[in-house]
Amino acid sequence: MATGTKTQTSPTTQAPPPKPKEGRGWLWSLLLGLLILGLVATVPFVGNAADLHNWTLIIMFAVLAQSWNFIGGFAGYSAFGNVVFFGIGAYTTGLILLANLPFWLGLIAGALVAGLFALLLGLPVLRLRGHYFAIATLGIAEAMREFVTVRDVGGGGGGLISLPLPSLDSYVLFFYAFLGLSLLCLLITVFLTRSRFGYALVAIRESEQAAEALGIPTYWHKVGVFVLSAVPAALAGGLYAYWATGFDPDTVFNVGISVEMVLLTFLGGAGTILGPLIGAIVFEYTSFQFQASGFTLHNTLLGLSIVIVTIFLPQGILRLIQEFARQPAPGERRANPFVEGVRRVRRFIAANGV
Amino acid sequence: MSDALSQPMASDAGQGGDDQGSMPLLQLESIIKRFGGLAAVDNLSFSLHKGEILGVIGPNGAGKSTMVDLVGGATTPTSGTIFYQGHNITRLSPHQRTHLGIARTFQIAQPFKGLDVRENVMVGALFGQQRLSRAQALRAADEVLERVNLAHKATFKGDQLTIADRKRLEIARALATEPQLLLLDEVMAGLTPVEVAQAVELIRQLNKMGVTVLVIEHIVSAIASVSNRVLVLHHGRKIAEDEPAQVLSDPRVIEAYLGERYARHRTQQSASGLPIAKDDQQLSGGES
Repeated sequence: MATGTKTQTSPTTQAPPPKPKEGRGWLWSLLLGLLILGLVATVPFVGNAADLHNWTLIIMFAVLAQSWNFIGGFAGYSAFGNVVFFGIGAYTTGLILLANLPFWLGLIAGALVAGLFALLLGLPVLRLRGHYFAIATLGIAEAMREFVTVRDVGGGGGGLISLPLPSLDSYVLFFYAFLGLSLLCLLITVFLTRSRFGYALVAIRESEQAAEALGIPTYWHKVGVFVLSAVPAALAGGLYAYWATGFDPDTVFNVGISVEMVLLTFLGGAGTILGPLIGAIVFEYTSFQFQASGFTLHNTLLGLSIVIVTIFLPQGILRLIQEFARQPAPGERRANPFVEGVRRVRRFIAANGV
Repeated sequence: MSDALSQPMASDAGQGGDDQGSMPLLQLESIIKRFGGLAAVDNLSFSLHKGEILGVIGPNGAGKSTMVDLVGGATTPTSGTIFYQGHNITRLSPHQRTHLGIARTFQIAQPFKGLDVRENVMVGALFGQQRLSRAQALRAADEVLERVNLAHKATFKGDQLTIADRKRLEIARALATEPQLLLLDEVMAGLTPVEVAQAVELIRQLNKMGVTVLVIEHIVSAIASVSNRVLVLHHGRKIAEDEPAQVLSDPRVIEAYLGERYARHRTQQSASGLPIAKDDQQLSGGES
């Protein structure tokens, strides 16, 4: 009898322990993220100038997606105008460079101005919820582009075109600067998944009403995370300004970049630690591969990816991999993303009577 | 069962009744809440003393949930004043009220689906009255889950729970904020009779630990068995406020709930000597 119970209890009945262990998923995500960034760091040694150029941009988009993930992925607020911070960073840094002040000062100033702008913008806009918030932020980015164009900030109509050129050596430097920024964003993301502030954001995403009722000052958390997501974008903009040695309002206030931030984040997995980084690498690398082989399919890919992500991968690549790595419960059938996607479309058609 | 019922009442009448009569835990003064032309809550005044369980019943659209929203802070009244521990809280935001010790549940449970049950409850402990650290909050969450009998599902995600467990999670999260006043908005709706009995027992236990409870419910028998006092709302107005047995035999209440004809029928019955509240009491006795 005693031996019988012993064999019974060992693997199966003790599986759900009374005190659940804390998940160590964040640690694995952090290590994997460091590994990815470490591998990318070898590009200047193993690749040519074109590779370096492409990977600089890939990591720049990773930074933009990672920063969007703070407000869009964690707090669940679909900010569709975050490119405005990128542009503000670029212009602030550019103007300071033109005034013959040091580059680092321009970067810091850009981050401060963008942070302040996010604060002042967030105060009214974050009183809105859902679609209203998304549309308001979209409008801001467009308004800023018009403002900069009409006021001819930086002179020359074409934006800042007379920046001092960096030498080739500093291309590598800029690559590592972007990589460092991406690492910073990775660390902030890990912090968010572990901290009081991060739990507040997730609570806001899942139910703002319940979050407020549990004692979370939701409004100030939203404003805070909006500022937090503005700063890395502005730093990326500042780096881009110098790196590109000239840009115009249409480039740095391009709403397409905002859309890309959103897509890359959702492609990888919104609200996850590695999602934006993986989304950016997968999408932008593919896009550059097409470009190298003679087709410039960037916008086509963008549109196609939006459709695919919406229908088949609403949870992103990461969750898909996790789902397949997971041991399914006995008798449980693994969800097939393709079948699920088709079902989703059918349901939509049925509901809308197409 | 009779012990559990009589204990909070006794303490309330004994020490609570006299010296706290001057300063109730919660007091609503001529609260009016209009949505456009409709007065969802119309000139409502009542007070709630420490250690009490106040039941609020009323037909659909009587203004019960609006009342919880008003006390919890999700909406502010068109006019009137709300006092909590003597302070005017009429214009405070929900999170400020939570920090003062008012916690609420939602009629439609709103679990944080991306978090597991334990983390859901932990959020309440992290941001509630005590603002516990992460490690302390996890410990507090485990304790609360034990108390509401949900510990065995601690690792489930918020959206993998049954209706009854979602309601338990609502209560657990609210408890994790360490409230003095707990507002329960239809936590028994949609539960089986056994689950209702468990919920009633849970409310009694919480009350014994010193939590004052305002419980809104459709299930009249459950309310009658658990409350010290029952308040009846109809079209936003208070039409009765008394001990459960008195309220349930009040012709106005019966009319509001069951219609005029049934009320007349019942009044005739009671005139012919049949006690009215009898069925309800039997029901409540059978459940717990």
